[in-house]
Formats: sequence, C-alpha cells, structure tokens
Amino acid sequence: MNSSILHTKKLCKTFSNSGTQQHVIKNLDLEIYKGDFTVIMGSSGSGKTTLLYALSGMDKPTLGKVYFGEEDISAYSNDELAVFRRNHCGFVFQSIHLLESMNVFDNVMTGALVLQKNSPELIRKVEELLIKVGITKEMWGKYPNQLSGGECQRVGIVRAVINDPQILFADEPTGSLNSASGRDVMDIFTQLHSNGQSIVMVTHDVRTAMRGNRVIFISDGAVVGEYKMPLYSKDDMTSRKDGLQNFLDRMGW
Amino acid sequence: MEKIIRLSLANIRKHKFEFVSLMILVMMCVLLIGSALSAVLGAFKIFPDAMKNTGSYENFISILKKDYDKEFENIMREHPLVEQISSARMLYGGIKTRYINKNGEQVTIPQSFITADNSAGLERPVIDTTLTDEEISKLEHWVYMPYVMYDSGKYRVGDTFEMICNTKRFSFTVAGFYETLFLGDMSNGIKMIVSDSDYHMLKDVIPEYVVLAYNDNQGQGGYDLFKELYDKFEEYSGKEIDKKSFYLLYSDMEYYISESAYLLLQIIVAMAIVIVLSVIVMIRFRIAGDIKEQVVNIGVLKALGYTSMEITVSYVLEYLLMAGLSVIIGMIGCFMLTPVLLRMCELIVEHRGCGSVSPLPIFLTGLGVLVLVGVIAFIRAIMVRKYLPVHAFRKGQGDHRFGREYFPLSKTKYSVHFRFALKEFVCNFKRNIGLMVCITISVVAVVFSFVVFNVFCNGLDAIYAITGIELSDLQVELEPSSDAGILAEELEQMPEVRKVLPTSAYNTIVVAITPDGNRGMLPLVFHDFDDTENVFPIDGRFPKHDNEIMLTKYDAKWDDIVVGDSIILEHTGVKKTYIVSGVTTAMAGGIFYITYDGIKRLVPDYRFDKVNIYLEDGVDVNDFRYLIEEKYSDNFYGSEKEKNGDFAITDIVDMKEIMSTQLVSTVFAVRVGVSIFMTLSAVVVMIILFILMESSVRQRRKEFAIMKGLGYTSHQLMFQLACCIVPSVIISVVIGTLISFAVIELIIDYYGKVNIDISGVIVLDIVILIFCFLCAFTGTRKIRKISVCELMTE
Repeated sequence: MNSSILHTKKLCKTFSNSGTQQHVIKNLDLEIYKGDFTVIMGSSGSGKTTLLYALSGMDKPTLGKVYFGEEDISAYSNDELAVFRRNHCGFVFQSIHLLESMNVFDNVMTGALVLQKNSPELIRKVEELLIKVGITKEMWGKYPNQLSGGECQRVGIVRAVINDPQILFADEPTGSLNSASGRDVMDIFTQLHSNGQSIVMVTHDVRTAMRGNRVIFISDGAVVGEYKMPLYSKDDMTSRKDGLQNFLDRMGW
Repeated sequence: MEKIIRLSLANIRKHKFEFVSLMILVMMCVLLIGSALSAVLGAFKIFPDAMKNTGSYENFISILKKDYDKEFENIMREHPLVEQISSARMLYGGIKTRYINKNGEQVTIPQSFITADNSAGLERPVIDTTLTDEEISKLEHWVYMPYVMYDSGKYRVGDTFEMICNTKRFSFTVAGFYETLFLGDMSNGIKMIVSDSDYHMLKDVIPEYVVLAYNDNQGQGGYDLFKELYDKFEEYSGKEIDKKSFYLLYSDMEYYISESAYLLLQIIVAMAIVIVLSVIVMIRFRIAGDIKEQVVNIGVLKALGYTSMEITVSYVLEYLLMAGLSVIIGMIGCFMLTPVLLRMCELIVEHRGCGSVSPLPIFLTGLGVLVLVGVIAFIRAIMVRKYLPVHAFRKGQGDHRFGREYFPLSKTKYSVHFRFALKEFVCNFKRNIGLMVCITISVVAVVFSFVVFNVFCNGLDAIYAITGIELSDLQVELEPSSDAGILAEELEQMPEVRKVLPTSAYNTIVVAITPDGNRGMLPLVFHDFDDTENVFPIDGRFPKHDNEIMLTKYDAKWDDIVVGDSIILEHTGVKKTYIVSGVTTAMAGGIFYITYDGIKRLVPDYRFDKVNIYLEDGVDVNDFRYLIEEKYSDNFYGSEKEKNGDFAITDIVDMKEIMSTQLVSTVFAVRVGVSIFMTLSAVVVMIILFILMESSVRQRRKEFAIMKGLGYTSHQLMFQLACCIVPSVIISVVIGTLISFAVIELIIDYYGKVNIDISGVIVLDIVILIFCFLCAFTGTRKIRKISVCELMTE
C-alpha cells in the first residue's frame, strides 16, 4: 500500500442558511494515498464536492482536521491555505474556470508563475504540456471563448499540473463536456496517473470513475463504502465496469 | 414606472458602497458650489451694506494740515461730479505708529486718531460697547477701535491698548468698537476715536491732517476726478502737496473688501469644478462598468420585453435618486456652511456685514447638479441600445476581447504581479483615461496649492523675494533735501550694523516715453546693485553703467521691451535714452532700477533720501529701532518741526514687518483656501479610487476566485489590482505637475519668477503616488472576502 498523503479526522462541514443548519459532512475519517487515483462518488447532495474542497484547502472544515502529511491544514489562515494550494495542489474544475481576459498560454502561465520564476525551461515545459494534451501552437494565442469546451478543459489540466503538484484535485472534469471530449480529457488523467500523479476526483459518471483505482462512496456526508480496482487498462474494460457497477449497486446508486 | 423603480432599487442595493461614495462626491459638489455662490453674494453685500450702515462718505483725500487751504473745499464743491463734501481733522501717524499686540509684540500699522465730533463729519459711527457713558467718562484715556481690532486684534472692552510713536508710548483703555470703511482695516490702517484731550496730547507727536471727504455717485468720478481735484489744489496753492498726503477712493475700498473674499471663494469654486469633473467621470465609468457586468441581465430583460429606454431610464433614475439625496443633504449643509464662510469672509476682509444666507444660489446649484447628473447618466446609459437579447445567451460574448495579448506572461522578467497590473492597465485603458483625468485635475490642484502655500504660508521669504524691492532690516526715510550720506556714514559706525545702503524713497517721478504712451515711474537707485540682497535679475543683469536701467517683468511685458532695447526717460523736460540691461521680478510695475550715476544724468540734483540698514545677526530690530529713535530724537521731522542738522528723519520703517501685517488677511485666505483645496482633493481622489477598486473587485470576482484557487493570496491579488492604477497615477502626477507649473508660470508671467521648491514638489508627487496606491489597496479589501468556494456554485 502507498503511503498516506492526505487524511482527515472527524471532518465536519456545516452550512447555515437562514437559521437552519445543514450538516453536509459528518465526522468523516478518510485517507488519501500517494500515487492513487481516488474517485469520490455519491448521489447529488451527498457532500462529495464539499469534501473535495475541504480536502484541497479550498474551504475550511467546520470541525475536525485535515492533514497533509503531518501538517494540519485545517488550522491554516486563508493566505496560508493559498500558499498550501500553490505548493502542493492542482485543480481541474467542472466549469473549467479559465481566465477569460487571457489567452491560452497566459492562462497556463498564470498558474505557473504563482510558484515558479519565469525561465526558458518553464516556457518550454508549458509548450510541451500544451502540445501533449493536443493544444496546438495555433491555439496558444486564442482566448477561452474561441475554444471548444474540451480544448478549454485540456488547457485547464495543463494549468493544474504545470507546477507538478503532489496531488491533483478534479471536480467533475468531464461534467460540461460531450462524451468524445470527456474521453480525451480522461485519457490525459489516466496518463498522468500512470506517471505517478496522485489524483482525487469527484464524479457521478461511471465511465469516468472507471479510470481510478480506488472509489469512495459517500452518502449523507459519510463514507459508506470503498472499492479498489487495478490500474486502468483498456484490456479489462468489461470486468472493470461490472465490478464498479456492482459496488455502486450495493451502495444504492 | 414601478418596474423601472424596482430595477433602479435593485441596482442600488447591489452597489451600496459606490452609491454612498458617489453620494458623498455629489454632496460635496453641491455643498461647495452652493455655499461658495451664496457666500459670494454675501461678500458682495459687505461693502454696500457697510457704506449704508456707517453713512460713510465715498472718497477721502487726506492732506497734511500745513498744505491744506480752506479754498480746497470750494474747489471740490464747484466740481460737477462732486455731490457732497465734508471735512475733518485727524492725526495720522502712518507707518511710524506701532502698537503692542496681545502677544506683547510690536506691530507696525498705520494708525490715525480722531475726535468723535470730527469722526461724525466723515461717517455715522455706531459705537458697540458694554460700558455706560458714566463708566466711559471715568476712564482717563479711552479709545473706540474699528471692529478689525476686535476680530483680528482680539481686543475686548476694558483691555489696555498701548500705542508707540517714535520713542513715546501712549496707553488707552478700549471703550468700544465700531465699523468704519475709512481706515478700518490692517492694510490701509486703523482709525481710533479718542477724547478731545487725548487728541491734543497726541498732536505733539503725530502729524495732523485735514480729511476732505466727498461723494461722487458711488465712485463715478474715480481716480480721474481725484487727480483733477488734486491738481487743482496744487495749482491753487502754487506748491507741490507733500507726498505724505494720501487718498482712499470708493473703488479702492470696494476692491480691497472684495479681493480677499473672492480669492477664497474662487478657490472653493475651482475645487467644486474638480469634483464635478470627477463625478462626471465616475458616473460614466460606473454605468459603463455596470452595463458590461450586467449585459446578460440586460439581454434577459430585453428578451422579457423591457425596452432600451426603460432600462436606460432605470439607470438614470438610480443616479437621480443618488443625486437627489445628495442634493438635499448638500443643500442642508450649505445652510450650515455658508454662515461659516460668510464669517470667514468678514474676517478676511476685516469688515462686518455679510448679511444672511441667500437661498437662491443654493437651490439653483442643487437643481443644476441634479440636471447634470441626469444628463450624464442618460448619455452613458443609452448605450444599452446596442445590446440585443441574444447577448444573454452568449454570456455577453460581444464584450469579449479577441485582440492582441498585451504584456504576455511568457515575457515576465521580474514580478508576475506587476505584469498582471500592466495587463490590467492596458485592458482597461479607456477607464484609466477617465481615472487619469480625475487624478490629473486633483494633482494640479494639490501641486498648485502646495506651491502657493509655500509662497504665502511657509514664512514670507518667498513673497519678499518677489517684491522687487530691497528689504533690509530697517529703512530710515529722510526729508528729500536731507543728505543721506551723512546718516549712512554714522550708522555704519554702529557695532550692531552690518551694512548700510543709501537709496531712494520714491520721491522722484520720472516719465517713461513708450510707444503706448507716457507713464510715470519711480526710480530705485543704488550705487552698486551687487550690494543689494533682495533684488534679483531674472533676465540680463543689473545696471552697471550710467546709461543702463533694469525694468520689472511687469513693465517689460506691458511695454513689450526685452533686454538690450532702449527706453527714453524724461524728467522736467530733460530726456535721456537708457539701455535695458536686465529684467527683475516684482509684484507690480511702475518702478525701474538705475545706478546713482545713471539717475544723475537725468536728475542732476538727485540725492539719496533713504538709508537701508542691515543688522548683524542676533540684533533685535525693534531694540535697534528704539536705539536710533533715541539717538536721533532731535533729527525727527515733525509736523511742526524744522530740519535739524544735515538730515531730517521722516520715518524709520521695517518693511518686512509692515508687509507681514498687511498680508495677514491674504495669507489667512490663502491658508484656509489651500488647506480646503488640498484636503478635498485628497478626499476626492480617495473616493474615486475606492469606487474604482470596489467596482473592479466586483467585476472580476470570479477571476479572483480562480486565482485564489491557483494559490494566489488575497494580499497578492490586492497588490496586483492596486498596482494597476499606478501607471495611471504616475502619468497623472507627471502631467498634473507640469500643468500646475504651466498655470503658475502663466499667473506669474507678469510678475517675474517664483522659486518653486522642485525637491518639495517631487516629494509631494511621491506622497501623492503612495497615497493613491494606499487608497487603491484599501479599496480592494473586499478581495479578502472572495472565497474559492464561490466556484462551487458555478
């Protein structure tokens, strides 16, 4: 088993609205392992996105702890969390969230320059990654609204991994894409994972979830089941899908 | 209409901070313009009301009693322009009279003394006193003073007033105050009403004058009438009337009373214009930003059937609501501020009678501002016409950029935050132009105020330097037939004296023959101008040879003369040509600079009649004056005394002290005006930057959330956003400083040169830059509240 990179202790997240409190995450204990492609699944409103944001230091828990290694990041201030994110994390959003006022290249550079100094090596790395995900040189000067959703998401992935994060978080990365684009994007995730990248992804799509090697099922803010799979391979698609589907059926999916 | 109001109110709720900030700007605008205009009307009333209330004559000619002839009154009476005349006896000490002020310091101010009966011949003084007639009659030496001594001098009934004339001191008890236009201020002098016995006592030391007062239908005759009468007096008496005679005309009094108040009020109106421009730019920016931000909503509204005009009117209504509230608060403020300004005007002009607040200019200002805001808002908001409903579905694609990427991040050399700031600056260039206009205007105001403040309020050395006259520690003026050389030699032997320079006391009038006509000019004569300490040529050099003169910049500009040109001077029929060797700075024209040898060519019997005394460091001017007053007590030229010895002293003058006393009201006006100007400029810039930053944060909220997600801290984002105004501020500061220098240059062009403290201005510019950055940085504080979690809801 890989070593733990992230774990939570009695994690709680409560939202208050007009006097009513909604307990989205309840005393959740979870461990994320280095090199794993962890997929968080659950029905709508189960708290999977909330958990992702709490794990990634995007949000602070109401109670409980989140540890990155031995470091308790739940006690961090907002700026400390920002530094934590820049040093250790990458993010891919469902709505992609590219900066619309910047072209493709600068969108990636915005992510890179928050941590690294500009250098020819960095420029070369950005170029290589963009080419690798299928964003050709002609597209580098284009603005997000001149690209397709799949192209934008690929740029988003490059932006997320440009700083070689220890852990990559993805919130429904294919949620706003058509199936072909979604497949392309997930191929990139698979490639990253096979290169050793730790990934935590939220999805409600079984095909997307199949790319992971560990599926955690959440219901009512608590982990109710866990399913482990071997590394993704196109050869055992049927058994992989059946196994996962069985697990999900047991979880009441 | 209801749906339009709903739209407006929804907009206001969304932009509460900007709404309040703009309200403050508009309110300040109404407050300043309304109260300044109302105060102008009040200031206009001071002179006519004071004239009416005091029953004062309109013009006064004061002639030394020795030169006066009863027939003068008949000459005046016979003139068709003269309506009424009166005469009175008065003692006038001129600048030889001083008093001990409330701080125990000696203050030189021309003082005159008159009896109640004589005073009644010039005006109807209404005495304001808390003492009964019986109490006053018990006082040994009582005095009624003009109100200026109450307001500026801080004297109160029962106080002791100590007057000094030459070496003698006289003590009076203040018995009351009264308003007077004739010698009722620090600049022209003050007139005290004293008892008959005290008048006779003072008569021994202060020359007696006969004041000829006349009305000429509110100054219709003006200076020409006075000159005509004066010439007739001289013609009748067959001799030149002593130069110590003086006059005060209707126009002079009116001008003096209005000038200082107008200076203050002009500064306030100028400030209001700065705010108006800022309001216009801000409203335009706010509406444009709001429309861009809400382009989707606008598209949806249009899809629902709202017309462009309805949406436009909702914007106009929003700003009219804001302006309406501001105007109401501003107008209420006007009614509170105007009395303060009126009182300030009274203090500045040193006369009472501003009257009450005029509501008309306040209402008109409110209405004007309301209309202006409505028109500006309409012109800007009508741009919603170009947005079709389809924009709602394209998420405002029409506004997206497809242009060149400025400052690409791949070229980042130093800080990525500066790079972002530069990108933001270029992307919002149009908005930044508006910001630049606002800040440039404010910088012009601040730098101009700073320079004026330095000249007027930071000691008076800067003013002394532009007077164009030699300002030694003391000046001893002699009777024209005296030999100044003898006195100069004696004074030079005194250990307290560092240097003496004999010169002219402006008793000789020379006519300059110019293409535009002949003008009387006074020579300022020295043996060697290199010995002077307060005359500086700004072009060319001092006159050195007997065929050279130096002119003031004012006269040179007036006559279109440059260094190297020739000018013909005439005195009693003798004409001589002189070369203009240089031009000097001076507050006014009418004097020229010439060497002793040079003036001798034109006026062969010319003699120095004044001695400039320069004291050693540490010697007290007043102590030294007392010393020479004692030493030369037999040489003083009194009204009834004859010349004793080789010279007769007429006055011992400390010109710097006189100037500082006379400039009190101007300095006060400038200080108040400039302080208000600088403070308001800072407030306006602060509000503008707050509005700008708040709007930017709101418009780029999602962008900042993404960047926070990428690991940028709040402080880094705040720094980036605040930095994006820095290029605009730098450009504005440079342009604003240059414009203010140009304005100063334009104003002083006629006078010569003001030494601008360049290093001080540079420091000020840096302070402005830092101030703007700090305001902008503070204005971005809402970035802290932006959470990455907001992206979850997308």
